[in-house]
Amino acid sequence: MENKFTRNIYMVPYALWIALFVIAPILLVLYYSFFDIEGNLSLVNYQKFFTPVYLKMTLSSFWYAFLITLISLIVAYPTAYLLTKTKHKQLWLLLIIVPSWINLLLKAYAFLGIFGTYGITNSFLEVIGIGSQQILFTDFSFIFVSVYIFIPFMILPIFNSLIELNPTLIDAANDLGASKWTTFRRVIFPLTIDGVKSGCQVVFIPALSLFMLTRLIAGNRVITLGTAIEQHFLVTQDWGMGSTIAVFLIIIMFLFMSVTGTRKRGI
Amino acid sequence: MKNEAIIQFKNVTKQYDNDPPVLNDVSFEIEKGKFYTLLGPSGCGKTTILRLIAGFTEASNGEIFFNGKKINDVPANKRQVNTVFQDYALFPHLNVYENVAFGLRIKKMNNIDIDKKVKEALSFVNLKGYENREIREMSGGQRQRVAIARAIVNEPEVILLDEPLSALDLKLRYEMQYELRELQRRLGITFIFVTHDQEEALAMSDEIFVLDQGKIQQSGTPKDIYDEPINRFVADFIGESNILKGRMLDDYLVEFVGKQFECVDQGLDKNEPIEIVIRPEDLEITTLERGKLQVCVDSQLFRGVHYEISCYDKDGNEWLVHSTKAANVGDEIGLYFDPEAIHVMRLGETEEEFDKRLEAYTDGEAGHGK
Repeated sequence: MENKFTRNIYMVPYALWIALFVIAPILLVLYYSFFDIEGNLSLVNYQKFFTPVYLKMTLSSFWYAFLITLISLIVAYPTAYLLTKTKHKQLWLLLIIVPSWINLLLKAYAFLGIFGTYGITNSFLEVIGIGSQQILFTDFSFIFVSVYIFIPFMILPIFNSLIELNPTLIDAANDLGASKWTTFRRVIFPLTIDGVKSGCQVVFIPALSLFMLTRLIAGNRVITLGTAIEQHFLVTQDWGMGSTIAVFLIIIMFLFMSVTGTRKRGI
Repeated sequence: MKNEAIIQFKNVTKQYDNDPPVLNDVSFEIEKGKFYTLLGPSGCGKTTILRLIAGFTEASNGEIFFNGKKINDVPANKRQVNTVFQDYALFPHLNVYENVAFGLRIKKMNNIDIDKKVKEALSFVNLKGYENREIREMSGGQRQRVAIARAIVNEPEVILLDEPLSALDLKLRYEMQYELRELQRRLGITFIFVTHDQEEALAMSDEIFVLDQGKIQQSGTPKDIYDEPINRFVADFIGESNILKGRMLDDYLVEFVGKQFECVDQGLDKNEPIEIVIRPEDLEITTLERGKLQVCVDSQLFRGVHYEISCYDKDGNEWLVHSTKAANVGDEIGLYFDPEAIHVMRLGETEEEFDKRLEAYTDGEAGHGK
């Protein structure tokens, strides 16, 4: 009895936190989503979501989040793999993580300088004879900067799963006749898939609702669900529609989580 | 070169940076179809030899031959050897069947043949019916068998076993010793077994290489190595022994603990300083009068099969005796031994010189008309 009581006491802060900052906001969002702009209870927002404008926006959000995740993965996996082979791996890892401690906004502003018309990228292109280009406010700059921001979150879980991999398994695969590529395909990758999955989760889900970068780097040329929510809450004051989009975003996140859910395997 | 030598090391050295070499100028031959054991304390270089044969590491110097062909530059996945690893290294994402089939799938064998071979290999190691089990559902002994099946299914010419029994409990270890030995006889494949357990080595091997500090100290059959250890290290590492300094007075006459004893060694220099070994089981407890040595019993341990009795002579030398009869602690007793029980070791003798000397004995004995 005594034990159970103390255990429940310890649970209180956690339960409070979850109730106030997770469950309550979700319920509030759900509540607002049933009101139209005049404050009348209706399902009009949900109807609106299934119009081409919002479906296109959803699709475009998915597409950009997918590209950002894919490119992050393609860059992060080999990087993480090479990191595990270096002598001072923890130091190298730290160097990769450090930029993620800097505020997102600061990094975005830094890229404004780098990619701007008179920035160093264009100066360089000028020097090598290609000439000045419009880099800022393009799909390229948006994806590039997003990948840059998300990549530490992709590298970390992959690095961890590679570190956990028993090196003798690689010897064993070699011993059984597997070439380097076959060893990667049949042993290393399947055994680090959990790291890849959690990396994809931490990149894809936030990428789906990016809004600041779409404004600063993509110059509002890329409209994602995140941008739409921001616009509805701050500009059009249509909280109902904003909440509806958020509801769908939450549903999509849960779906994505369950699809990439990690099933623990191994000895 | 001999025809049946399947693996040959010629002056192989392995050294990391400027550390002392892990393997120092090692040369040996492995013949086809025998059970070899590389025996030595940890850090003696035995696992390095295995890794060199498997191709997981490269020799700093020297040549390695496989079936007469130099294989220094052949990568591990192209070598005709398979390894059973110390931690088994089974693939945790594959079930038993797929673990065993791994090598065959890489060879792009068709599914019917794979199925036949995998089932055959599993029945060889008594794991019929375990095909669909996950690795985590298998016990240590079963994992061990899967690892062996995964190696033998590829029909390699040599199987390397890196301390494969060290993680098993004692009873299972004994059982697996029999099974491994039996398996090797049935398959007729060369086994190279690495262990630090001298009992295991003596029980299983056709040939033992005793290693220490990156060098092969002695090679030979278990009986040769036990009965005729080349030096103090081998005598001490293999079994229990009483090792004492002595002097060779003449052929068949040796002096130690200030007394002269008849022995069977000959052909050494007169008055040459030597070391002698007497195995504890060759010492027999007897009366003070009958004993060649007079000692006082210091302590006694019951080991199940025998008593392990520690005695001291009046010069303070310890004498270890294995006897089925108990002694009384504090008693003065006599120790008797046959001349054959004394094994004489020359100081700093190389294996070649040692072998030559042993051969000379046999010739000598023939000359005596024995």
